[in-house]
Amino acid sequence: MKNTIKSLFLLGSVVAFMVTTMSMTQKPGEPWNIPAKYKTMKSTVKAGDASINAEGKELYNKHCKSCHGAKGLGDGPKAASMKTSTGDFSSKGFQAQTDGEIYYQSFIGRGEMPNFEKKITDENDRWAVVGYIRTMKK
Amino acid sequence: MKKTLLISGRVISLLVLFLFSVSLFAQEEGEAEEPQKERPARAPFESGLLFDNATATIQPSKTLEMIIQHRFGSIENGITDLYGLWAPSNIRLGLNYSLTDKLMVGIGTTKFNKMQDLQIKYNPLVQTRSGSMPITLTVYEVIGINATDEKNFGVNYQFSNRMSYFTQVIVSRRFNDKFSAQIAPSFTHYNSLDSAMDHDRITMSAAARFKFSPQSSIIVAGDFPLMLQSISEHNEEFNQAVKDAGNFVKPNFMVGLEVSTSTHAFQIYLGSAQNILPQENIMFNKNDFFDGGILLGLNITRLWSF
Repeated sequence: MKNTIKSLFLLGSVVAFMVTTMSMTQKPGEPWNIPAKYKTMKSTVKAGDASINAEGKELYNKHCKSCHGAKGLGDGPKAASMKTSTGDFSSKGFQAQTDGEIYYQSFIGRGEMPNFEKKITDENDRWAVVGYIRTMKK
Repeated sequence: MKKTLLISGRVISLLVLFLFSVSLFAQEEGEAEEPQKERPARAPFESGLLFDNATATIQPSKTLEMIIQHRFGSIENGITDLYGLWAPSNIRLGLNYSLTDKLMVGIGTTKFNKMQDLQIKYNPLVQTRSGSMPITLTVYEVIGINATDEKNFGVNYQFSNRMSYFTQVIVSRRFNDKFSAQIAPSFTHYNSLDSAMDHDRITMSAAARFKFSPQSSIIVAGDFPLMLQSISEHNEEFNQAVKDAGNFVKPNFMVGLEVSTSTHAFQIYLGSAQNILPQENIMFNKNDFFDGGILLGLNITRLWSF
């Protein structure tokens, strides 16, 4: 009985250590260096367009949700294993960016954020995803 | 003979003239107003593979797709082999690469009959979002090489005896965001088979997907090999006797669940054929889905973009 309690304590300590270490090592992302041509890009999908809640939502759920979470809070199941924080799409800071800046970060990517140009090939579908991310604003 | 040639020549000339006029006419129209670029519809299926069948889906160019297909044994022996889970299973490992958005090539190796395969898939027509092209048309070819010992091929062995060919035309349509379907007639040819079998077979296949959540779908498919007297090497009485004895190849029914993510598609299903390669299923499947010949199958695909 004593040994069992010891083992459980040891296991608990190891798990607690791992969780603490992982959360401590995750750092906020460095500022993005976005080329000027992307910054000024205009969305081809207007706010409220039907494609935002159809294609945009479906593609977000398929390609983005596992890291960024269903509501863009950065709490997807894969987020904890990232070295860099996946950010919060609902925050004022994120939403203050231009559509083009969100487009660049979403589809061109860098480091742990992969390039999605080959996964979502249609330009309007990409803008529908940006449009859907816009709906996450608090 | 001379008259026939003359008429044929005239018909061909008229046909060429007609096609030429049509293309000129189309060109003039195109010059008059700039045509809007058509947006291709999103892929009708999540993966280029649905159970044992190909779909019209070709991944974007320079994408590598790794495929793992696993088929357990049939459930007919019950608890003895844990409903097929402990029975001999069949496995295929494959790699597909998209050379362009419309052209894919692939290789694979399968455990049963040590089948090695080369595949090619091409989409000459792609469904558009405007509806100007309502379907995607796909041509799919699988060349199989049976790598078992040469004594399995009888006397007068030649390497070509190992070869089999599966040629399919797939007509598919993405009806809406939830429902897609395809029908696919095919022609299968084996260079060397038991003398009681036909070397050629025509088959009708169909498949459909119903997406009930952003990542999950119900999937169904069926392959229906036809016994056509017109292409059979045996007489009607013989073929009837094969049918009556229940020895004709059985249809392959499949129903399952597909879960797909950005880079993976996972299919778990109940089906009847265990051979994985389409020509092998079409020529040799003896499992009857409605008479205990059901087995559990798994497919996993993984994509890498370059």
